[in-house]
Amino acid sequence: MSATGTCEFQPKDYKSDLKPIWCPGCGDFSVVQGIYRALAAIGRPPHEIAFVSGIGCSSRIPGYTTAYGFNSVHGRSLPIAQGIKLANPDLLVLAAGGDGDGFSIGGGHIAHLIRRNMDITYIVMDNQIYGLTKGQLSPTSQKGRVTCTSRYGSLENPVNPLLYVLAYGAGFVAQASPTDLVGMAATIEEAIRYPGFAFVNIQSPCVTYGEEAQQIKGLKAISETLASLGHNPADRLAAMDLAQHYGEKLHLGVFYRNPEPPPTYGDLVKERQTLLSKDALPKERILDLFIKK
Amino acid sequence: MRKDLVFGMAGSGGDGIVSAGDSLLQAAAAEGYHGVMTKSFGSQIRGGESSCRVRISTDPILNPGGNLDVAVALNWEDFLKFGAELPVAGTTVVIYEAATNIKESEIPLVGVTPLQVIAVPIAAMAKETAGTERAKNTVVLGLIAGWFGIGAVAVMKGIRKKLAKKGEELVEANQRAFDAGRAFAMEHPLKTSMNVVASETKGAVKLITDGNDMCAAAAIFAGCQFFGGYPITPSTEIMQFFTDHVWKYGGAVLQAEDEIAGIGAAVGASFAGKKAMTATSGPGLSLKSEMMGLASIAELPLVIVDVQRGGPSTGLPTKTEQSDLFAAAFSAHGDVIRPVMAPTSVADTFRITIEAFNIAEYYQTPVIVLSDQEIASRKETLDPIDTSQFKIINRLRPAGADLQDYKRFKQTENHISPISHPGMLGGTYLASGIEHVESGAPTNSGSVHQRMNDKRTKKFDPLKDRRDLFEITGNPDAPIAMVAWGSVAGVCREALAMAQAEGLNVKLLVPYLLYPVAEGVYNDFFASTQKGLIIEQTHLAQTFKLLRMHIDLPKGVKSLARSGANPFLPGEIVAALHHLLSELQRSHEGQLQPQE
Repeated sequence: MSATGTCEFQPKDYKSDLKPIWCPGCGDFSVVQGIYRALAAIGRPPHEIAFVSGIGCSSRIPGYTTAYGFNSVHGRSLPIAQGIKLANPDLLVLAAGGDGDGFSIGGGHIAHLIRRNMDITYIVMDNQIYGLTKGQLSPTSQKGRVTCTSRYGSLENPVNPLLYVLAYGAGFVAQASPTDLVGMAATIEEAIRYPGFAFVNIQSPCVTYGEEAQQIKGLKAISETLASLGHNPADRLAAMDLAQHYGEKLHLGVFYRNPEPPPTYGDLVKERQTLLSKDALPKERILDLFIKK
Repeated sequence: MRKDLVFGMAGSGGDGIVSAGDSLLQAAAAEGYHGVMTKSFGSQIRGGESSCRVRISTDPILNPGGNLDVAVALNWEDFLKFGAELPVAGTTVVIYEAATNIKESEIPLVGVTPLQVIAVPIAAMAKETAGTERAKNTVVLGLIAGWFGIGAVAVMKGIRKKLAKKGEELVEANQRAFDAGRAFAMEHPLKTSMNVVASETKGAVKLITDGNDMCAAAAIFAGCQFFGGYPITPSTEIMQFFTDHVWKYGGAVLQAEDEIAGIGAAVGASFAGKKAMTATSGPGLSLKSEMMGLASIAELPLVIVDVQRGGPSTGLPTKTEQSDLFAAAFSAHGDVIRPVMAPTSVADTFRITIEAFNIAEYYQTPVIVLSDQEIASRKETLDPIDTSQFKIINRLRPAGADLQDYKRFKQTENHISPISHPGMLGGTYLASGIEHVESGAPTNSGSVHQRMNDKRTKKFDPLKDRRDLFEITGNPDAPIAMVAWGSVAGVCREALAMAQAEGLNVKLLVPYLLYPVAEGVYNDFFASTQKGLIIEQTHLAQTFKLLRMHIDLPKGVKSLARSGANPFLPGEIVAALHHLLSELQRSHEGQLQPQE
C-alpha cells in the first residue's frame, strides 16, 4: 500500500486528548504540530499508523497522537518498530525519541535498521541534554558543556547524528527545527513518503535545561536552508560535507535523498514469502519434516 | 539377549563421532527401535573433544540412560574429559583404539573393572580398507553391528544415501570399512553376548529430531509468524529452523543486532497482532529481561525460549544445567508473574511449546519456556504425533461493542481485556511501559497502580488449576515422593520404574508449569508424603527453594541438587530412595519405642 490514503484528514484528526507533560515553550510542541500536519497531508487514517518511541521527554510523543502508540523502554524504539513493520508491512511506521534514546542507550540499533532499509521514518528530537532526568550530559552535548553530571565541563566529543546516519548509508537524511514549522512539516512529510528508511534530526530546544544559544533565537541565528545553499540532495558526498557543520550551523532541509531508492526490506520479505509459500507443507503436517524414510 | 543398550563414544572433533551416532540412531529407527542420542562437546569451534551417547531400546525411552553398556574411546584423553557424562561400570564393554598403545589391563579408568575390554586397531582398519583414517567411525559402526546386532543392513543403507552425491567410490570405501569392523567383531565374539532382540515394530514410520527443531516446528504449528533473535549456543537451531521455514507461512524472522533487539522486534510483532517468539540461552535471558517487563506491563503475548546451559555468565556453554529457574521466574524488576514452562523430552517439547503459545495468547503475557541443552540438542526417535489433538488459542480480540470507546486495559471479571492491534479501526491505544489507566493513558496514581498490579497478577489464578500441566506417576498415596522437571524428569521416571520393580512405594511429580507455583497441586501431592526428594541440576537447589517460598514442604522432603554437566543416574536415585525408606522405617521404629 502506498503511504497515501484516500480519506481527507485534518491535522486535528491526529491530535489526541492527552495533555503533554512538556514544559511551556518546549520545542517538542512544535514537533508534534509538524507531525500532525505531515500526517494530514499524507492522509493515512490514524488506525493504520504505528508510532513507537523509547523513554525521554520527546518519547511521550506517540501518546499525543491518535495513532496506535507504543511508548516503550529506553533506547529500544527501533527494534520494536522493525518488529511491527515486519509483522504488518501495510502499516505506516514512525519512530521517535531524543538524542540520548537514539544515540546513547539505543545507539547500537540505528546502524542495523539502516542496513536493512525498512520503510520506517525515525524522528529524533535533538536537544543536547537529558531533560526528563533533569539536565545531564547527552551524547550530542558539546565538549566542555557544563551540566549536573559535568560540573567541570564535558570531556567528550559529541556524536554527529547526521554524519552517523549518512555514513551508515541511510537513503533519506534531513534536518528540521521549530524555527521553521512549515518547513519542518514538509520535511517530515517527505521523509514519510520516502520508500525506505528515513531519518529526520530535529533541533528541538529544551527551554528548561538548554543553553541560551540553543533556544529558538540562537538557533535562528545559525540556521540556513540547504535549498538556499543550492545543495543537491542526490549528492551524498556533498551532504556529508555539509553535515560536518552539525553543532555550528543549523542546516535545514534534505541532506540526502537516494534518487533511486532500492527495494525495501519489506519488499524483499514479500518476494521471499511468495516464492517459498509454494512448497509449504500444511501447518498441521509440519512434523513430516522429521520423518526418516 | 538385551532389550536396551546404552552406547557412549568419544574422540576428537574430526573423528566423526557424532556422525556415527547419527547413523546408529537412524539405523535403529529404521529397524523399529526407540532411540535417544545426546551430544556433548568441548567449546572449541573445530577439533577439541566430542562425544555422543546413543541409547537403543525395544521399549519407549525415558532418558539417555545411566552407566554405559558399551564405551568406545578413539583416544583416552578425549574420552576422560567427559567424566560423569560417560560413566563406565562393571557392566560395560569397553572398546578402544589399539593405536593408543595402552594394554587392555592398563586402560586409564580408575576404580572400575569393566565387563570386558577390547583393543581394536580401528584407525589401521580404516586406512587399510578405505584408504583413510577418516573412515574410523564407519569401522566403529561395523563393530557395533557385529557385536550388538544393530544396523547390519540399515547403517550402510543410511550411509549410502548420505554419501550418494559424493560418488560410488566413497560409498564402496565405507562399505569395506564397515564390513571390516563387522568381520572383526565376528572373529572376536564377546565373552557375554549382548545382542539386542529384534524390534516388533520394524518398518513403522519414525520421526527423528532434536528439541530445538521440535520447539520451532511447534511454534509454527501454533501459528507463530515472527521470530526475532540472536545466535547463542545452545539455542541457535531454533532461529535456523525459522529462517528455513517461517517464510512459507507468511511469517518473517529477524536475526537482530543483539539479544535486546531480538526480543524487541518480537514485542513489536506481537503488538502488531502476530504470534511472536524469541529464543536464547542464559546470558541472553539476562539481556532480555527489561523487554520481558515491558511485555508484561503492556500485556503482550510473547514466548521466550531459554535453552539452559551452565551459568553464571558464559559458564559452560555446551553443557546442560537447570540453573536459570530463578532467572526465569524472577526475570525482571517489579511485581509481576511470568509463566515458566518446561518440557522434559523432545517429544513433549511439541506439546509444551504449543501450551506456551496458548497461555501467552490467552493471558496476554510473556511466557518463558525453559528447555535445556540436553533436550535441545538430543535426538529422539518418535512415533508420529497426531497434531489434530492440539487446540490452538488466539488472543481475545475486541468486537462490536468493545470498540465503542475502546479501553485496551479494561477491567473485566477474569482480568483479561480484549486486545486490538494496529490496523484495527476503533482500537487505537497507547501501549506503554509506564503505568496506565484502562484506556492506556499514562498515570502516576498509586491506586491505579495497585489495581493494575491486581489485574496483571490475578489473571493468572486459573493457570494454577491446570492439573494437566503436571504429571503424577506411581502410587498417589505413597509415603516417598520425588519432584523433578526438565531433562532430569526423564531420569526420575526411569528411577521410579526401577524402584517400583524393587518393591518401593514411591511417586513422582513432574511439573511442566514451574511458575506461578501451583500450591494446590503440590499440597495435594505431598499430603501423603513423609519422605521425599526435589531432584535438580542446580548448585543452589533453586527448585527446592522456589517450592519452599510457596509451600510448607513436609519435613522429610530434602533436596538432591548438583551443578550441571554432572548427570544424575537412575541407579543413584533409586539408592537415594532406598535410603529414604530405611530412614522412614527407623523413624517408625523410633515411634514404637520412645526413647528417654
